[in-house]
Amino acid sequence: MDNQYIEKMLSKMDKDLSKHGMSRRDAMKMAGLSGAGLFMGTTTGISAEEEKIVKSNAKGKIVIVGGGLAGMSTAARLKLKMTDPDITVIEPGELSVSYQPGQTLVAGGIWDEDDIAYKRDDFVPDGVKLIKERAVFFNPQENQLTTDKGQVVTYDYLIVAMGLQLDFERIKGLEEAGRALSAGDNKKLLNALGDDGICSIYTAKGATKTWEQMQKYIAQAKSGKKTKFVFTHPSTPIKCGGAPKKIVYLTNARLKEAGARDNAELTFYPNGGAMFGVPEYHDAIVGQFKRENIKYHYRHNLIEVDKENKIAVFDAKWQEKGPWDPVMKDFEVIPKHEKVRVPYDFLHVAPAQIAPREIAESDLGSAKGWVPVNKETLQHIRYENVFSLGDVAQVPMGKTGGSVRKQYKVLVDNLIALMDGKKLEAKYAGYTVCPLITDIGTVMLAEFDWTVKPTPSFPLDPTVERWMWWLMKIYALKPMTVYGMLVTGRA
Amino acid sequence: MQIEFELVKYDDTLDKFDLDETMYQLEISDEDAQTYELLKSSDLSLYNWLKEADFFLKHIVEEVYPDSKDKKIAISDINGITFRRFYFFKVTSGDSHYEYFKKLFNIFEESEWQDREEVGTEILEHLTKKREELIIDLSKYSIEADV
Repeated sequence: MDNQYIEKMLSKMDKDLSKHGMSRRDAMKMAGLSGAGLFMGTTTGISAEEEKIVKSNAKGKIVIVGGGLAGMSTAARLKLKMTDPDITVIEPGELSVSYQPGQTLVAGGIWDEDDIAYKRDDFVPDGVKLIKERAVFFNPQENQLTTDKGQVVTYDYLIVAMGLQLDFERIKGLEEAGRALSAGDNKKLLNALGDDGICSIYTAKGATKTWEQMQKYIAQAKSGKKTKFVFTHPSTPIKCGGAPKKIVYLTNARLKEAGARDNAELTFYPNGGAMFGVPEYHDAIVGQFKRENIKYHYRHNLIEVDKENKIAVFDAKWQEKGPWDPVMKDFEVIPKHEKVRVPYDFLHVAPAQIAPREIAESDLGSAKGWVPVNKETLQHIRYENVFSLGDVAQVPMGKTGGSVRKQYKVLVDNLIALMDGKKLEAKYAGYTVCPLITDIGTVMLAEFDWTVKPTPSFPLDPTVERWMWWLMKIYALKPMTVYGMLVTGRA
Repeated sequence: MQIEFELVKYDDTLDKFDLDETMYQLEISDEDAQTYELLKSSDLSLYNWLKEADFFLKHIVEEVYPDSKDKKIAISDINGITFRRFYFFKVTSGDSHYEYFKKLFNIFEESEWQDREEVGTEILEHLTKKREELIIDLSKYSIEADV
């Protein structure tokens, strides 16, 4: 990104800000105050500092299953809002609180894996008990669960924050990868992916591998060989729905930087029929893809990888006009599908993502596996002493850290209300945020909620890619998440 | 004011709807006409109002189906506002019906992973319950009519 480009960006930003009677200095001041808060859904930036904490004397044994960002932040906030809470966190992963939003930056060669690795044991709030085991059997009728070591844990209140699993094993050719978690050594997965162009940013180790593979194939393109870069998006809900596109943009940026873009063909194969669920952001992304000459084909779901011949096999769907329905007075739509074989040199796999088997197969899980909760109160629809948040919770959208930041406050308020015998009044409105990296140096800040409309925290056109959001993504968001949520429970 | 409406007949044993295929007309009072005007933009509110209106039920049991005490029916159209999708939706139905039901049943799924068959099946599950609210059991009203 050269100075001329920066000046152009700043000029555009100034123009946009002036429409709202704001100078760049004012904007940066506001951004500095609320910096990461803007990314994470705070509109003023002063709320964390000025929040008045009224502590509750409520009693009861609270068990939190899952000690990732959602679970551990909830523990921190319960400590903040209760005088003497009895909290137990069950989490087997040593690096469970690692900063997952940074994996795209690792894959793009901007950060190292060490920049995002955080140890669970450094973030257990004082007085909170930690069981370093995995919950494998749930008996909500008896208010108890059992761990993989056979320990039976009873509770008065249960919070399910187990995250999700990366289901590589459903892709033919990658079965040996099994199911993976974001953190950990993921040896099986790395072995299954191999060293011949297949990669995935959905684990920390995989992000490092992605950067290695990306450099290898950028070098190939730079040598003059035509090189095909293929990117996928699965048929299930996924954490950070923008990530499969972010890696497309970062690869594109690195190819341009290396002067190898002309020899590279970048193609994105999403399972869905749009780039983004919010029309405004969809339109913006389509414009960016056209501008950057990135191809895309909707309704393609990766089902097989032929590693030997370097072919990605997709189940491609389309619709055909069916017969006239005289009762409904319109034409029917007939779904069709067929296998499509796509050669690749570099293949980025965004895997299908599912609820942990232990939840899906228990009474706590829904037919789809996720924990069915009231989407506003986050209370389980069948067990009133059970709550859920984060990736495993069945809310319409928002498997992101930005969603968790809204959810954990709602959940804590409602849990304490329940313990105090009061009405559950806190409500989650579906806010989520995706800082969509569109180049090295620019981010489009896609914020939205259940209205499926952009809900910008800042008086700027939310569909415009900005350097300011890039700075926040790189410098402000991580400390905000790690220290603001995990350590203090305030952000 | 006059309203035009069409009906569907519901078969309990087959759990199936059939069009009545007759256009009925009914004169309503000025007060009811005002209510109609207020509700016509909200299709389900309009439906519920008419479904529970004494003048409507009286007309049905006395004029439309005077000899069908065990009959179950539902309204398929009111002045061109159609409710047919509630009874005849299929997984292969057009996109406009998907959009309508996704909004009605709060099925918000990120468009990137929407699967037509899966969403269609979910709509049908919701419709099973919704239809119970829409069906009018005439046996409840026939007795009053007889009196």
